[in-house]
Amino acid sequence: MPIPTGRHTLGPDDGTLTVRTGRTGAASKAGHDLLIEVTSWRATLDLDGGEPAVTLTADARSLRVREGSGGMSALDDDDRANIEQTIDDEVLRGGAIEFRSSGVEPSADGAALRVEGDLDLLGTRRPVAFDLTAGDDGRLTGRARLRQTDFGLKPYSALFGTLKVADEVEVAVDARLPAAAGT
Amino acid sequence: MVELDHSFSTGKPEDYTWEAILDLDRLIPCVQGGRVVERTSPTSAKAEIKVKMGAMAMTFTGTVEVVEQDDDAHRALMRVRAREAGGQGHANADVTFALSDGGGTIHTAAQITGKAASMGEGVVVSVLDGLIRDFTQRLQAI
Repeated sequence: MPIPTGRHTLGPDDGTLTVRTGRTGAASKAGHDLLIEVTSWRATLDLDGGEPAVTLTADARSLRVREGSGGMSALDDDDRANIEQTIDDEVLRGGAIEFRSSGVEPSADGAALRVEGDLDLLGTRRPVAFDLTAGDDGRLTGRARLRQTDFGLKPYSALFGTLKVADEVEVAVDARLPAAAGT
Repeated sequence: MVELDHSFSTGKPEDYTWEAILDLDRLIPCVQGGRVVERTSPTSAKAEIKVKMGAMAMTFTGTVEVVEQDDDAHRALMRVRAREAGGQGHANADVTFALSDGGGTIHTAAQITGKAASMGEGVVVSVLDGLIRDFTQRLQAI
């Protein structure tokens, strides 16, 4: 379905912004692949007839572990809390996360946007490109793959470097599209 | 049984290093996550090591004992007998230190059972190698 024109604001009430992480290293079996939800974020889509634009800001301290697969045993609440603490203390450290488009190209049928822009992550700005697609179910989805090292982040490692979070992570948004323009 | 060999340098006189490594209160904290729980004699201690595995941690508790000590050759054999806290696993090792001026070598013969061993011998070797390499770095400051 075409993405409605107008200025749209999206946030956690409309859908999810998630980060998927993988693992690498000789002892990768000991770790977990994680699905982490960013629980505080705000995105805008400006499709009101002028130059289309997309922005996103996210609170680096709002990440919550939703799933963990693999590992030697299932993650419990304490484990999830430990991971969230580690993200806060050692990885994102509460830094600023902000994306601002530099170019947005709608598809011919208006159901997708090719978005290019700059992601500012903890003070390091790098270009990022991704597609946003409106499905027939009325949801807007998109995903981007980012390398932590591109932003000066050292992927978390444990067990003397034999268990590491993979450098590349996948960020995905899945949100309910506004029903009408200007919502 | 996993056997590993490492060398280390301290940049200090052999007599100084010899005295330092035989002092379990100084040696055991050189293992990342290791601490002395109780000194049971001049040559033995109850100890604990907590190994962080990302979100989780495995804790082993047990004893460290100097079972052979050659003061002339500056060679010592230490025996580690540890059990996984709250689990069925064991981590046992015979660790031989042989000193030379400015450093020395460490031969480790270890036997790991339980959850940690279930990851496979290749993983155990990699983790143990990482732990001992880290230990040798910390020995520089002992």
